[in-house]
Amino acid sequence: MRQHIPSLVLLLCLLLFWEIMVRIMDVSALIVPALSAVLLVLWDGLITGFLWHHIWVTSVETLLGFILGCSIGFFCGVMLGEMVQLRRLLWPYVLATQVVPKLALGPIFIIWFGFGMTSTVVITALICFFPLVENTMTGLQTATPEKRDLFRMLGAGRWKTLVRLKIPAGLPTIMAGVRVAIVLALVGAVVGEFIGGSEGLGASIIAAQGMMDSTLMFALFIVITMLGILFYQITLLFERWLLRSWKKGKIL
Amino acid sequence: MVQQIGWLPMMTDTTFFNFDEASYAYENGNTILSAIDWLIPEGAFHCLVGRSGCGKTTLLKLAAGLMHPTQGQVRVKGQLVKGPSQKVGFVFQTPELLEWLPVIDNVLLPISLHRSVQAEDRDNALELLESVGIVDLAKRYPRQLSGGQQSRAALARALLRWPPALLMDEPFAALDAITREELQDDLLRLVSLRKTTVLFITHDITEAVYLGDQVVVMEQGRISRVVKIDLKAPRGINFRYESSFSAHCQSIREAMSKKMSEEV
Repeated sequence: MRQHIPSLVLLLCLLLFWEIMVRIMDVSALIVPALSAVLLVLWDGLITGFLWHHIWVTSVETLLGFILGCSIGFFCGVMLGEMVQLRRLLWPYVLATQVVPKLALGPIFIIWFGFGMTSTVVITALICFFPLVENTMTGLQTATPEKRDLFRMLGAGRWKTLVRLKIPAGLPTIMAGVRVAIVLALVGAVVGEFIGGSEGLGASIIAAQGMMDSTLMFALFIVITMLGILFYQITLLFERWLLRSWKKGKIL
Repeated sequence: MVQQIGWLPMMTDTTFFNFDEASYAYENGNTILSAIDWLIPEGAFHCLVGRSGCGKTTLLKLAAGLMHPTQGQVRVKGQLVKGPSQKVGFVFQTPELLEWLPVIDNVLLPISLHRSVQAEDRDNALELLESVGIVDLAKRYPRQLSGGQQSRAALARALLRWPPALLMDEPFAALDAITREELQDDLLRLVSLRKTTVLFITHDITEAVYLGDQVVVMEQGRISRVVKIDLKAPRGINFRYESSFSAHCQSIREAMSKKMSEEV
């Protein structure tokens, strides 16, 4: 906890600076609302339950998309990592799914899956897919040639080598991909809602924009940021738990 | 005292490894091993010395079935080597422990890869760890161990199923002198228990003489000298300071350096 204190102090200073500057310079609430006003709207939204519904929707979309994208990404990463021929054949297409602007796909997803949650989940999954493919493929190459020879000497077949050696050896790399994915997932969900959502935090930002309600938008920014940090921290804790044996002995 | 024998390949029933004109070359024509003929009898401890890049490791991998000779053949107990076999254990230059498993599970790996581990397997593993002196570290993780302790764990793992033969690729090269001597004694004691056949690679002449009952010198992909070490076993600490020990070392060193000077 102690090492977080400077960070928190800096945050308080920045927030204070924001409030003071807005008041001194008499900035219009449409451009930058005062912190106090934003917090009031935020508090109000939480008390009345108006925000909770949107938080719930966005969270569900984020997590569904995240789990879907990570699972498919992991599976594809293993397949491509294990089969050189398949990798040569499919890699350009995997890369294409990543470089195509996912937002540009939004409208077609809306045609395919309709407005609402499904389209957003698909966009989110597509965003999470790539870091997992990439990191799984890289992770599977982590095990040294000597360790592979060891497994060959011990009579382990391809499947056992994959499950007992390559995946465990690559797990730290794979988990780094998961950490990237969870952050991208929230971005994906919010942006997905911009295009096709009627509910959720992203949709609420669009709605607030329609009402020229900058104060609400700032409140939503804060909510999304807090949600992102929360998801990231949960993933980090999960990773620490999963890799607890891997970390043993790093510091004696 | 130092006896150098000529090379007479002769298959007998008690031959464990049989290299028959075994050669290995890369596709670009680079020859690593040329026509190696070598018999290792069952229960023998043969050491292979040579300078870096002479093909020692390739030879060991041919015996292990990890690589295949481009010409000639390698046989284990009369059977053509087609791939890695459970009859042969391999100890690498580095311990190659799985860092996410505690020591005991690393030692049990040869079993847990094939079936569920029973209580008696666990007892066997602990007994082996006891005999290499690290039983109290069984629950530790590899990175919590020193280099010597890791090498001991790797040795225990290789011996878990008591393969009839062990192939060892400079397993103690990275250890300090005292630890290395301790491990050499442990190794000799353990392999003599079950008359394990050992092919041991090293670039350390004294290590080869101390461990082996035969030392083979390799030079640029060929066996250039075979030296029989007809000295008493068990060999203790004092053995290292006997004149016969030094005589053997000197003769092997001469065999290695003579070849080099002839080529210059």
